[in-house]
Amino acid sequence: MHALRTAVLKFKQRFKPKQNATITRLKRRKAAVSLFTRHLTHLMIILLAVGYLWLLILPSSRLGRGTYMDENALQPAQVNTYWNWGDVNAADRYLEQLESLRDSNATSHQRSQFLKNEFLKLGLASATQKYSFISNQGDIHGSNAYAILASPRGPRNEAMVISASWLSRSGEGNGTLNLRGVSTVLALARFLQNYSLWAKDIIFVISDGYLDGMHAWLKVYHETQQSNLDAEPLELASGVIWTALNIDYPGHSFSHLGLFFEGLNGRLPNQDLLNSVQRIARYTGQVPVTVYDHLDWRDSSKQSSEPSFLPSSLRHNSEVKEFTYRARNLIRNFGYQAKGRASGVHGLYHQFRIDAITIFAVPATGPHGFHALGRIVESSLRTMNNLLERLHASFFFYLLTTPDRFMKIGNYLPSAVLISVAMIFRGLRCWVDAGWKLNQRIKDDGDSSSDVITWTRRKRHVLHVLTIMLVTHSLGAAIFLSIQSSLFLNNQMFFVPLITLATSLVPFVISRVSDPRDEGSAPIWLVLKALNLCSASTVISTITVLNFSLAALLAVTLGLSLSFSGPSHSKLLSLTKYILYVFLALGWLFFYVETREAIWQWEILSVWFAPFVCLVYTPLLLQAGTVCILSS
Amino acid sequence: MRLILFLHLLGILYTTWALNAQPVNDFFERNAAPGASKHTNNWAVLVCASRYWFNYRHMANALGMYRTVKRLGIPDSNIILMLADDVSCNMRNKFPGSVYANPGRHLDLYGDNIEVDYRGYEVTVENFIRLLTGRVDPSVPRSKRLLTDENSNVFVYMTGHGGNEFLKFQDNEEISAFDIADAFEQMYQKKRYNEIFFMIDTCQANTMYTKFYSPNILATGSSLLGENSYSYANDNDLGVAVIDAYTHYVLQYMEGINKTSQLTMQDLFNTYDPAKINSHPGVRSDLFQRPLNTALITDFFGGVSQVEVASPDDSEDDEQDFVSLW
Repeated sequence: MHALRTAVLKFKQRFKPKQNATITRLKRRKAAVSLFTRHLTHLMIILLAVGYLWLLILPSSRLGRGTYMDENALQPAQVNTYWNWGDVNAADRYLEQLESLRDSNATSHQRSQFLKNEFLKLGLASATQKYSFISNQGDIHGSNAYAILASPRGPRNEAMVISASWLSRSGEGNGTLNLRGVSTVLALARFLQNYSLWAKDIIFVISDGYLDGMHAWLKVYHETQQSNLDAEPLELASGVIWTALNIDYPGHSFSHLGLFFEGLNGRLPNQDLLNSVQRIARYTGQVPVTVYDHLDWRDSSKQSSEPSFLPSSLRHNSEVKEFTYRARNLIRNFGYQAKGRASGVHGLYHQFRIDAITIFAVPATGPHGFHALGRIVESSLRTMNNLLERLHASFFFYLLTTPDRFMKIGNYLPSAVLISVAMIFRGLRCWVDAGWKLNQRIKDDGDSSSDVITWTRRKRHVLHVLTIMLVTHSLGAAIFLSIQSSLFLNNQMFFVPLITLATSLVPFVISRVSDPRDEGSAPIWLVLKALNLCSASTVISTITVLNFSLAALLAVTLGLSLSFSGPSHSKLLSLTKYILYVFLALGWLFFYVETREAIWQWEILSVWFAPFVCLVYTPLLLQAGTVCILSS
Repeated sequence: MRLILFLHLLGILYTTWALNAQPVNDFFERNAAPGASKHTNNWAVLVCASRYWFNYRHMANALGMYRTVKRLGIPDSNIILMLADDVSCNMRNKFPGSVYANPGRHLDLYGDNIEVDYRGYEVTVENFIRLLTGRVDPSVPRSKRLLTDENSNVFVYMTGHGGNEFLKFQDNEEISAFDIADAFEQMYQKKRYNEIFFMIDTCQANTMYTKFYSPNILATGSSLLGENSYSYANDNDLGVAVIDAYTHYVLQYMEGINKTSQLTMQDLFNTYDPAKINSHPGVRSDLFQRPLNTALITDFFGGVSQVEVASPDDSEDDEQDFVSLW
């Protein structure tokens, strides 16, 4: 005891200020700051390296954890299912009728009338809804059909949705029909009436088109306005929709059920819904589950997707195979989420806080069909029926690496945040450098000579730099407005090079016009770079919690590139750098189809990827380009 | 003068009371088996602290206990059943109006003779403590009161979602082990019980009785600190678990007991099998002043009070004494 006390006393003594406490504290703080600034470059490099490395190892099987059910109420895969061969037969009959509709080239209206009549024959309240979207890329017209199975004993103020779109998500609505999905919904409508235990209404929606029909239906259901949408009001109403399942079954049979979950603007459904369906498919339906339509590498039927540049010994390593499989899933997820795209019709629900997923029957020659799918949907509905109010317990932010493993937000978020921290450090460094000038001279006083370091303050032209930034952002806005016009969309090949050229000239004009050039003030490029890095870093760290994939994409594209902007000694090198930045800033314009798609998604579905790229991403890179051609 | 008179009066009152009470005690001591309980009436307080469909099993637990105590002779007037009661007529119930406690749905516990005293949102911590301590509003009907005295044996059964030293009431509030211990102490001070048997089935249930400090309480729980209590079985048509493992095995044992059973608490506790129950049930008997192997199960679960049938050749005095009480 005594020994401990003396040890504590000694310890205290060590840290006890010998002189004035305030002075010691100030000294200590100064030493800490100087240590920090001296090693700032190293720190930034470390942060960048760790951030990028973290992004690279996200697919590792050593990260993440198994999925688990969090909401007690759901009780998935605990019910007997009664969907049987009679119901499969009914689905087959519906399919025959739908096929004859297809073969007779029935119009949208005829189709929806047919579906409505089928629902009416089953004794369900049913109606159709015509809608049209006005778009510069061609107007869209269609007609939805829907029916409501009223909750037999409930107060009818809650609902769940079973939907199928006329076009399948395979090929992103390029014309593949979802006939089997639609017949499953019809047969389910017939079958589910046998139960009296539905605590919520069940709404069956057969939406026209791929995304457009369901979007129109949901917009009108929730009474939200969209200027370019003209849709009939819904004749039938139900309560608040908590969960929805979208069925996509384009093939003849299926081998796996693929889960699609990404929604518009990077929203994800609550993970409990995915976990429930995954468990139900496995235990009740006995169908293997995959993420998307990516088959597990253990399925021998699948040919390997490992990159061919790897030596064959590595390619056949199970660890490498596992990593590749997970990486494919993550890249697919990033592709949807970063662009704000919905990976299926379910993605439209999320904007109304409805948790929804698509169960996609991965086309194969067998062995599963209507029988397995019906049972899985039946059991899933029982689980959704058990829900009290909304799903809230499990995760809304996650990366699903395999159907039963995921990463929590804390495990992946730091990667992008670290990069953005490195960027803001770099930006602040530039800001300080711009404000102070180092004067170093050798003082010679007789026998010893020593370095004397003095700092002089210099003026930073912030307003000037802000004007430059404003110009680039306005330029982005101008690009955004122009690419939406039908003139641009009809003559993309002609206008894209024109816009690129015009845009790339503006920084030159800026660099010519703008140089206050008064002695003793900070170089414009340095201040511009400081503000550019700081704003980019702020954007990235803010976006991480909204849409991680987009933030990661920005961190990858902007992290290094913005940090290394700056004029070079040789004019030629500066110019090359500038061209590189312009290419990064505007290169996406040359992906004609992608651009059109992004604009369409903005116009119809309000996906803010296109405006974000134009208003934030492009200007940030143009600023970096301007930094390179401003005189040093 | 007045004071002396008053003291005299007190003295006379005491003698009368002592003279009257003495024969009762003597009577029981002479006739009952050694170590037998001296209670004259039985009460049961059965609490299901959960609500919602997915907690079906907790409702079934409480109803299973209700069936058992009723079968063993405690009348509805002496049973206080606290039940959220939202499963039998739940919209999600495939078998409306019934509650089953086994996967095959052989026995409907809800039946047509159920008296739920505290229902739905009336199942609160406050109501439970008021019930135990007798601090109820004058307007509360007799069916909602625990009308016990110092000769009552009280069986308290609780089930729900709990944790270390607490039990949740309807996802809204919690009762702590201290609250129950203090309520029991008040009961003791107010002579509201002769003996209490406290049984609880929840996660970390054994922590709930660790704080008791009043005499004559026997307590048992389903699981140790840090241990979950698990459900026993699931009915695949109902789609939910129908009963908890601990309660299931206790009830299963109880089914073999009738009103005249001489099996003791020790016999009941000996049947606890952690391997089957999936948790380690505990017993606390340090406050209980009788050996467990003389405490009959029916002392708490049954409505069997001490009754002596005098044979004709018994001495007249005894009978005379007894009758004179009334």
